[in-house]
Amino acid sequence: MNKDITCTALVQEKLNLLQQNTHNTVNTLLDTLALDLAAKVDAKIANGETIGLLEGIPFGIKDVYMVQGTYTTASSDLLKNYKSAYTATAIQKLLDAGAIPLVKENCDSFGHGSSSENTIFGAVKNAINPDLVGGGSSGGSAVNVAKDYTIFSIGGDTGGSVRQPAGYNNVYGLKPTYGRISRYGLMAYASSTDCVGPIAKSIEDIRIVLNVMSGKDIKDQTSYVSAEITQEAISTTDNIKTVGYFKNFIETDAIDAKIKSDFLETIEKIKAKGIQVKALDFFESETLVSTYYTLAMAETASNLSRLDGTNYGNRIESDNLKETYAVTRSENFSEETKRRIVGGNQVLSQGFSDEIYLKGLALRDNIANNFENDFQEVDIIISPVTPSTPPKIGDSLKNPHAMYLSDAYTVGFSLGQLPTLTIPQGTTTGLQITAAKHNDELVLKFANFLKDTI
Amino acid sequence: MSKIMTVDVLSSIKGAQPSEAVNKLFEVIKNANTTNNNAFNNHNNALSLNDLRDDLVIDSSDTEKQIIIENFPKEKNGYLVVSKVIEE
Repeated sequence: MNKDITCTALVQEKLNLLQQNTHNTVNTLLDTLALDLAAKVDAKIANGETIGLLEGIPFGIKDVYMVQGTYTTASSDLLKNYKSAYTATAIQKLLDAGAIPLVKENCDSFGHGSSSENTIFGAVKNAINPDLVGGGSSGGSAVNVAKDYTIFSIGGDTGGSVRQPAGYNNVYGLKPTYGRISRYGLMAYASSTDCVGPIAKSIEDIRIVLNVMSGKDIKDQTSYVSAEITQEAISTTDNIKTVGYFKNFIETDAIDAKIKSDFLETIEKIKAKGIQVKALDFFESETLVSTYYTLAMAETASNLSRLDGTNYGNRIESDNLKETYAVTRSENFSEETKRRIVGGNQVLSQGFSDEIYLKGLALRDNIANNFENDFQEVDIIISPVTPSTPPKIGDSLKNPHAMYLSDAYTVGFSLGQLPTLTIPQGTTTGLQITAAKHNDELVLKFANFLKDTI
Repeated sequence: MSKIMTVDVLSSIKGAQPSEAVNKLFEVIKNANTTNNNAFNNHNNALSLNDLRDDLVIDSSDTEKQIIIENFPKEKNGYLVVSKVIEE
């Protein structure tokens, strides 16, 4: 850190920016906590102590992560006064490394949305054009990074919720391999694809933050041991020989003409560097989106069944226990959350589970097998992040089915549990770089290569 | 109690109805072709039984307990007040 500015001054400057901002990115400012921590960093510097790489670096947290003693609302009425009793593992690791949390960030309620409009804190406005949506569900996090209100932010990605807002606001956003970062303390949406994901303005920042948060955690049985990714390891691309892309993502009327032509231009630039590019077959967008939403809704219906106002949350008393549950949930959940819970209970019901839910699971297996075969042939898969540019605020709420379809390019990689990074290059809403499971290092390596190539 | 539960009862959401937007997604699944229709083939997401955490009770910190009590929607003399359980 440059000694010209104290940590306290830096944190205060960022807090002021967040407080005054008109993009609706803030659910709660953590000003007292942040300034206390900043004073401790300044004292360490004054004493001549060495400080770590992340020490004193201000960051933001999507409002679905537990941070002990802070409000964790999930942008919902139900939890608007809920305080975290403990801290999420990923966030605790950042705190232990000395990073300073500034803000709990606005998002779609419980991660249910692709525009950050489904929130009680007002629609998040895009960093580049405030008439457009900030993307979602981690919209507040992506906008804060894009506007330099935070140095990095921690989003959550279940079907594209880090990668799509990163693309809409021209920053980097990583969905690591499922399980690389512990989910303990991340409010569960769809547990089989939920991932903790960093958003930042450089590949180097993503690498540093990813390394700090990664690792096995006994509190999340799906987490695994991973090796640190070094700066040297991602600075050369000698082992990337073949890149693939899904031709049906590009050869369709559903893609914006400019995104398509920019993507094809990128392909040509990669070819010009001597890398072989293969067009791959993949599942139809509709199948990908339907499979993802079927499984995600089933999981969210189960995960959110605990939110009944009994032990915590905004209970609304009624005649008896069951009525109290029903009124509490009806009054406190948004329309989108209710739609997903009902959809989930539909597919889990007897008579529907075989032809929809179990078939969805089988399709997911097919999709995962498809990826396994693809990565026998190519090292990296690149894809646009979204078929279209960000919609105007208000449009997505009118047409939920269109909003679901806008996730066509992100949900497949979630179902495959693969590492995927959005980079702010290649098309107006960026590019996704994906590698085989556990190969997050290769993703960052190729991102470094593209930074200098396109 | 009826053996058939409607989605509003299952979801504990008053007046809830299946939505057209979501039903469109389900139609796609119904009509999709899979190379295996047996969900019991699903083994991609299973956890290994060789690596389970120790089955230990770990006491929460005092701060954690205090915040849990603060989150009670209704409290009386340090106890959580819940609605009367109905008999059916």
